[in-house]
Amino acid sequence: MENSIFQKHDRKKRMGPVELPLGVGVLYVGVDVGGTFTDAVLLEKGFVRAMAKVPTKEDLLSSLLEAFDRIIRQGVPVELIKRVVFSTTMITNLIVEKKYDRVGLLIMPGPGLSYKTYNFPTDTYIIPGAIDYRGREIIPVDLSEVDKALALFAAKNYRKIAVVGKFSSRNNAHEVKVERHLRGKFPDWHCELGHKVSGQLNFPRRVVSTFLACATREKYRGFIRSVQEALAQRNIYAPVFILKADGGTLPLSYSPEAAIETIFSGPAASTLGVQALTPEGETSVVVDIGGTTTDLALILGGQPLLSSKGARINDYLTHVRTLAVKSVPMGGDSVCERVGKEIIVYSERMGEPYCLGGPMPTPTDALRVLGLTMLGDEERAREAMNMLGGPLGLTNEEVARRIVSFVCDFIAREVMLMFTQWEQEPAYRVWEVLQKKKVRPSTVVGVGGGAAGFITQIAARLGCSPIIPPYAPVANAIGAAVARPTLQVSLRVDTEQAIYTILEEGYQDQLKESHFDENKAVELAKMWLFKRIAKYGLEKDLKEVEVTRREVFNLVRNWVTVGRLYDVVVQSQRGITHHVGFEVSNDGA
Amino acid sequence: MMGLKKTGIVFFPAFDWAISPTHPEREERLLYTRDQIFEEGVLDLPQILEYPPRLATMHDISRVHFCVPRVQSRVTEAHLIAAGATMLLGDRIITGEIRNGFALVRPPGHHAMRVVHGNRGFCNINNEAILVDYLRRRHGIKRVAIVDSDVHHGDGTQDIFYHDPDVLFISFHQDGRTIYPGTGFPNELGGPKAFARTLNIPLPPGMTDETFHYVVDNLVLPVLNDFQPDFVINSAGQDNHYSDPLGSMRFTAQGYADFTKKLNPHLAVLEGGYAIESALPYVNLAILLALAGEDYSNVREPDYWPGRLQENPERSAKVRQMVDQLRELWQKRNAVDVEKLFGGGRFYQRKKRIYYDTDYIDEEQVEKLRLCPSCPGYLIIDSRADHGFGHPTRAYCVSVPFSACAACHQEAYDAYEEGKQMSGYHYVYLQDKATDVYYSYDREKRQEWISEGPKMDG
Repeated sequence: MENSIFQKHDRKKRMGPVELPLGVGVLYVGVDVGGTFTDAVLLEKGFVRAMAKVPTKEDLLSSLLEAFDRIIRQGVPVELIKRVVFSTTMITNLIVEKKYDRVGLLIMPGPGLSYKTYNFPTDTYIIPGAIDYRGREIIPVDLSEVDKALALFAAKNYRKIAVVGKFSSRNNAHEVKVERHLRGKFPDWHCELGHKVSGQLNFPRRVVSTFLACATREKYRGFIRSVQEALAQRNIYAPVFILKADGGTLPLSYSPEAAIETIFSGPAASTLGVQALTPEGETSVVVDIGGTTTDLALILGGQPLLSSKGARINDYLTHVRTLAVKSVPMGGDSVCERVGKEIIVYSERMGEPYCLGGPMPTPTDALRVLGLTMLGDEERAREAMNMLGGPLGLTNEEVARRIVSFVCDFIAREVMLMFTQWEQEPAYRVWEVLQKKKVRPSTVVGVGGGAAGFITQIAARLGCSPIIPPYAPVANAIGAAVARPTLQVSLRVDTEQAIYTILEEGYQDQLKESHFDENKAVELAKMWLFKRIAKYGLEKDLKEVEVTRREVFNLVRNWVTVGRLYDVVVQSQRGITHHVGFEVSNDGA
Repeated sequence: MMGLKKTGIVFFPAFDWAISPTHPEREERLLYTRDQIFEEGVLDLPQILEYPPRLATMHDISRVHFCVPRVQSRVTEAHLIAAGATMLLGDRIITGEIRNGFALVRPPGHHAMRVVHGNRGFCNINNEAILVDYLRRRHGIKRVAIVDSDVHHGDGTQDIFYHDPDVLFISFHQDGRTIYPGTGFPNELGGPKAFARTLNIPLPPGMTDETFHYVVDNLVLPVLNDFQPDFVINSAGQDNHYSDPLGSMRFTAQGYADFTKKLNPHLAVLEGGYAIESALPYVNLAILLALAGEDYSNVREPDYWPGRLQENPERSAKVRQMVDQLRELWQKRNAVDVEKLFGGGRFYQRKKRIYYDTDYIDEEQVEKLRLCPSCPGYLIIDSRADHGFGHPTRAYCVSVPFSACAACHQEAYDAYEEGKQMSGYHYVYLQDKATDVYYSYDREKRQEWISEGPKMDG
């Protein structure tokens, strides 16, 4: 089943890739490895040169090769490929299906929240030791307790340990000490440290993130090996990147450090794809209607909205920064039922739509009856509508219209809710409160299987223009292809204690400069960012950097300023490298 | 539904607002509290709901204060946000969306009195009072209790509700002879129309959790139980902590949390507390957990150990004696001959001197309360504020209570009109809480402003 809902559009020539002779421009490849399909595109400047959708098989390598062969046909000069970017749901699926490795937790929470509150997904051992919010030691770490814990973990056959302390991002000494001790005793065990996984505040989230990073690392290496193998077999030697949940990319070879940052990169890929496929600067809602769920994302003034808090996965809260994507339980396969005189669409899936041989009527059947999709058997779709509407004396078309209307109402309501929730984000400064304003979208962009049937009505309910961009079925792969590499550095300086930390690197050191000020803080942060850029070999790609946060607090004790706290975040330019496909429809028509 | 179990929080640290760069009320004040609360991950707990703040309106402030010359000249946006945050949580509690709330906001407000010429005790407007009058106006709440656990006497709140029989104000604090603002003695008990609606328990310096809880168990809780308020507010100052640089008391984070649990207020509103590193991160965390019904027993200051703080038995005995006397007085409050105590006649009058420590203003007030047999009576305040550079500012303020009778209502409007004609006053005000309309008149400009407020929906 190759997403046949789009066949109708495929017949219109403009939707297919442009059959023009290849120019001599640089080429970009984007590949989205989903649970069911692997999508791939080949871009040349702003043009889609080829696209493919192949089933994702158990043998990942063969799926990748198949996808490559469909987009890079004979005569395509592979040496002109400038960049290959992957996005994958692999880590997400591993976590959701709990197919990751066993990891023991060694945590140092010290005083604070009751330990009863913690409910981590594995054996957890609490070690005495505590650090405060400015990185000062409150309670020394007790290595004899570490020994006891390690003995227990060994007995239970754990070989991977995540070590996380409260406020370890302010001072990693305890975590480092425990790691050194562990390595001395069990040199072949794998040990993951909290401060290296996340520098953000929130200890329970750091514990979960570190646990997941540790538990998925080895499997993720397997994914990387398949990717590298596939590329080598097709003689592609361009730089390879992996898409992160926040829409940035990382060089593939360095990405094991950040494997969990690839969770939810699928929705990020679609959102970036839409950003690339729609005009610059729009405020739009991206509505990705799938079988079971509909994913909603916001593009505000041309930039995808980032979630203010880390991702939730399997009911565990993490530090993984994602685009603000909301998944609502409504899709083409949702179950429709008659309740009294009403026809209701439920948030669950019982199988395929009726017209495709499933057990229950679904919104897809309604679309089929209204001629908004060519999917499935028309007779069965009519039968499904009649099952619902017959006893009420409604025609099949009336039932279908009611169902479509129900789905559109539901999704439109969720979109409005998403905007209100975004307005409800906390603000900790006067200016932040004052600059809050109401923003509403001007366009609703539909992608995904069910988009064509619903998007016009959803847009009408929101007072927006509907858009189904060309290449919507492979928007995710396009998003991957155009995603920029992004690197960020967060610097924290405490001049009273003369220490500084680089959160992303898990690095801390003495501050040697005696006359430190805000400009020097920014310079120091930039220096570390360029160091990081060089480490990843991205000097050519990342030249422009911006300061995204700059905070200074005077430390005043007894009416005298004794020091300053600086929080500076610098990052390379975010977003997409270029837009895709506007001129194409003219060329291709 | 599940909302009944939730605790709402507005965290507004105002990281871009300070009285002055090195003032205790500065940007850094809640920085470590933020660090602690964020790192503990408490805002992720399913029973805690964080709201962004909203702004109070000038109208909401006029309902409580006479700001001289105008509201706009006495408040900054930060003040509007702190007051608005408090009101937002009040709304959510009344509608049942949350069970209780914590307005973890700055700037504070409990030293702000009814007439505002400037900043005193780090406060410009009184967040709790603005909430109380908003709840009465918007939601028809009748009886409110405010328990002030700041080390400093909540003199602003006391002043605003001194003649209000429907608001119970209880403040325990370090003895006014040893700390700002120098008031809050047991003989300050409320006016003739609200006798024993104000209770003050000054504590000798150095008292620990033991005495703190003696006061709570033997006075605060029994009195609240008798008063049966519809809404309980805690002015949650944290400067009774043993490490506070301004106060000399020795309460702990655990002591504050136990108090919060026992009091079980609808809303806790942050007031003072300037041990920004050694106390605030822990006390704020403990209070939030106590409100949310979470186990707070593992919250502990880094330098605390059990047995560190020993109570002075002599001082403690004195407090117990005072508590017993106040409780006896409370029990006999209805038998007290108010006329004998305050005198009879048409008006009760008292004189006050108010010092604005932050802005160096000396204010003299003559307060006249109409002793009306059928309502709490309207109030006239004649205020004269000396800013230290000659030409004192004079204001004439008339306030009509929510439940004013028709006669008082009329008399108050007459008084306002008369005031507008009187030379010597720069500004004349009428605060009509009964109809929610607020007038201010600038005699020099001969201009009057009327605030009728936003039209209520529904």
